[in-house]
Amino acid sequence: MSDHTIRTMRSRDMGKATSKQHFTKGFALVGTYLFLCVMAVIVLFPFYWMLISSVKSLAEYRLSKPTFWPQVLLLSNYAEAFTTASLGRLFFNTAYVGIISTILSLFITIITAFAFARLQFKGKELLFAGLLATMMIPGELFTITNYITVSTFGWTNTFTALIVPFLVSVFYIYLLRQNFLQIPNELYLAAKVDGTSDWKYLWKVMVPLALPTLISITILKMMGAWNSYIWPRLVANDEAHRLVTNGLRNAFKDTSGEVNYPVQMAAVALVSAPLFLVFIFLRKYIMAGVSRSGIKG
Amino acid sequence: MRIVLQNLTKAFPSRNKKSNEEVIAVNNFNFEIPDGKLIGLLGPSGCGKSTTLYMISGLLKPTSGRILFGDDDVTELSTENRGIGLVFQNYALYPHMTVKQNIMFPLQNLKGQDKMTKEQMLERTQGAARLVQIDGLLDRKPSELSGGQQQRVAIARALVKMPRVLLLDEPLSNLDARLRLQTREEIRRIQQETKITTVFVTHDQEEAMSISDMIVVMKTGIVQQIGKPQDVYDDPANLFVAKFLGTPPINVFEGSVKNDMLYVGSDPVLAIKGVADQAVTVGIRPEGFILDEEGPLRCKPVNVEVMGRDVSVVSTHDASSNPFVRSIINADNKIDVTREYVRYGIKSHKIFIFNKETEERIYFEVK
Amino acid sequence: MVESKHQWKAWLYLAPAIVLLLVFTVWPIINTVRMAFLEDYSIAAASGGEASFSLGVGNFVKVAQYQDFLVCLKNTVLLCLITVPISTLLALLVAVALNSIKPLRKLLQTIFFLPYVTNSIAIGMVFAAMFNIVGSLGTRRPLIQTVGIVNNVIEFFGGSYVNWINNGSSYWPNMFVLIIYIVWNALPFKILILLGGLQSVNKQYYEAAKVDSTPRWRVLWRITVPLLSPMIAYVVITGFIGGFKEYTSIVGIFGESLGPAHAPGRLNTMVGFIYDALAQHHQGRASAAALILFAIILLVTLINLQVSKKRVHY
Repeated sequence: MSDHTIRTMRSRDMGKATSKQHFTKGFALVGTYLFLCVMAVIVLFPFYWMLISSVKSLAEYRLSKPTFWPQVLLLSNYAEAFTTASLGRLFFNTAYVGIISTILSLFITIITAFAFARLQFKGKELLFAGLLATMMIPGELFTITNYITVSTFGWTNTFTALIVPFLVSVFYIYLLRQNFLQIPNELYLAAKVDGTSDWKYLWKVMVPLALPTLISITILKMMGAWNSYIWPRLVANDEAHRLVTNGLRNAFKDTSGEVNYPVQMAAVALVSAPLFLVFIFLRKYIMAGVSRSGIKG
Repeated sequence: MRIVLQNLTKAFPSRNKKSNEEVIAVNNFNFEIPDGKLIGLLGPSGCGKSTTLYMISGLLKPTSGRILFGDDDVTELSTENRGIGLVFQNYALYPHMTVKQNIMFPLQNLKGQDKMTKEQMLERTQGAARLVQIDGLLDRKPSELSGGQQQRVAIARALVKMPRVLLLDEPLSNLDARLRLQTREEIRRIQQETKITTVFVTHDQEEAMSISDMIVVMKTGIVQQIGKPQDVYDDPANLFVAKFLGTPPINVFEGSVKNDMLYVGSDPVLAIKGVADQAVTVGIRPEGFILDEEGPLRCKPVNVEVMGRDVSVVSTHDASSNPFVRSIINADNKIDVTREYVRYGIKSHKIFIFNKETEERIYFEVK
Repeated sequence: MVESKHQWKAWLYLAPAIVLLLVFTVWPIINTVRMAFLEDYSIAAASGGEASFSLGVGNFVKVAQYQDFLVCLKNTVLLCLITVPISTLLALLVAVALNSIKPLRKLLQTIFFLPYVTNSIAIGMVFAAMFNIVGSLGTRRPLIQTVGIVNNVIEFFGGSYVNWINNGSSYWPNMFVLIIYIVWNALPFKILILLGGLQSVNKQYYEAAKVDSTPRWRVLWRITVPLLSPMIAYVVITGFIGGFKEYTSIVGIFGESLGPAHAPGRLNTMVGFIYDALAQHHQGRASAAALILFAIILLVTLINLQVSKKRVHY
């Protein structure tokens, strides 16, 4: 259908449109916005409640009639939360594990994806299919043996135990390989003509061109470290190596009953803050990465 | 640099995994490319011309045969050590680098005694950019350039390290018609300024004819004919070459030789000698027709296409292999398309006859 | 195109990944199966101690007979069956609504994605706070200070407060809180995928529907849903896979006791069962449970694929 015919049809529609049609159309639009706003409020409310609770005094929090704006801004809750949960130590540990494991993981992902995308060797297809097949298996199945392995290696309560077992992500390799494959073969040939080695071509041409994917992987990997809970609790739950999620859970064991919620909420807000900052600045990469991955962290 | 191709053959394993047959992309290619010439490899797609180019570049290794640059055997040498420049069909510019970075890239890869200082590299880069007239665009990214400009950058990148041989893969195919004319002159100019032996691949015969010193016509991996463009056009070795060169294409007829007379259908067009009686295929170039009330070839006129200086007469003939016969006649002649027949005489050097089976040329003498 | 003679170079590139995969992926697969079918496997044996084992399905029998396991299985299945349809339907409605508006779309899209970038333990604690009754419920003379914001809202509309998660609360209120939280957590990913799918649907179908003056709900069910069916199938399948691995949300709300004070472990799930067994050094039992989990996930995925084969229009 040509543009022209569409336009004439539309204008004919407009001509026929009765006031009733206008009304239902407007009604539907209002309904749509209303629905979206209600949903948005539901989605946002926990964040709002977290923030205002975190600055209330304990007495105010316990008022039987809740206040939706704090009577006094009690920022000391944050200081208390920071020391109670020793968040400084936890943040440092998590950042350390996150950064080291991201760098190593990126390196391994890049060279592996490159081999699968560009190099030729016997059994390539078979090996790659085998790799993809492991994605089917739930991670819990690996955890049991890995826990034993890590104990055997004497890595319990070390950062190594938190970093090494998760350096290879088949999914990231897959993601990057697909991205590498989209880079035209001619560039590789041109680089050969220009006298480049495979290694130099990888880092000078392919990596810069796949940068958006690499950024997505970096963010997801960092978020993974920030949110990991089960594995760190198993292998490294001592003071010196504890990561932030476990630290938070450990510092505030109770979730019901007599709890100092303002301080707890302040701690939660502090733990959530880095994630939100990353999200605000790198939203594009996160959403792109997630829509392709379908995995959390 | 003289390039010698000796018995060059390339076989690819068949795509069909069940059959073990190989596909012969290039079959026993022998040719000596003289130094400093511009050579066009010409043929329809799948004829092995690009494969030949890639073998010269070293990106593909020949199955058998040898490649020599001058007296050096480079057959086993990898691409980066051959000292060639290659311009890809889609240019293959690095999208994340500026024009300057793209052109400089090959220089940064030089090793050992060839290694250059930053200043030398910059100078060479600017020289190459000047040569292809893009020195004003050095800080742009490839995506900010037009197709023609990208083409020039690709040529500059290929030339910057002063290659012994310059190779171009379908250099004009991604350009629009007007730019194509301009760029092919440009390629000619650059080649003549640099005197680098240049081989380019094209499926467009007009392109190859217009700028090449020599053309190589290929079909299904086999070289059909090698020669100066005009010689190949005037003296095709077989029906394929005759059909492939020339616009409008040559007119092909069913014909025969009987008692030293060449017939097109039942029209006796030319008295010849030296050919035994047989059925033949007859090719007549469009410009080989002469309007002649008494002429031997009778065609039914259909239409006249005006082309300015000339007119193209579209007509039919029972013995024609194509739906229409096209002849190019000086526009001064008035043709009445309502007439039942238009009669032509034939220029004897514009008519070729070919063996019906082998399609090889049959040479004859005019009586 | 380029023919390389240096195959060994490729293996050099692959070496780090292959070594790590062998140790942390391939070996666990083999070992889990081995441990699951060995009787009386323990950490002592795992670290090289001598013991003789016999093969058998003892671990599986033990797991199946285990009361805790049945509780975990029930919780997991219930949570899956309830949260996946709810979150998919809500996400579909939100995505369709988002797709039909112009102003504010970017902002709303960002808001709806926010729950994704959260720490599920941390925000679980916020949900717990919202549903918590501060006071000494379950004691002889309960003293209540605040009933929590959710109960406040219920009371505002004239209802009476519910003991959601506190001492003495019953099973379904507990589940209700979990369902709300899990749905809230699952929405962003589903909305993102479905909206992405909607945006790639050819606008001409809608033009055609407009010309035929098709009512809105019909457009939704007869055009949008069928065209979106591959994406819907995708979010449902990943939803089920994720649902069967549910664990951290529960830790977020109930803490490591996985239940209200009077009934710890009541809301445990399959994954929780596996980790409990592991923490108690019952590797055999953990492995058997992990294999059962894998089998269930595989089965559910296959069923989903089978259903979508009939329903999905590619």
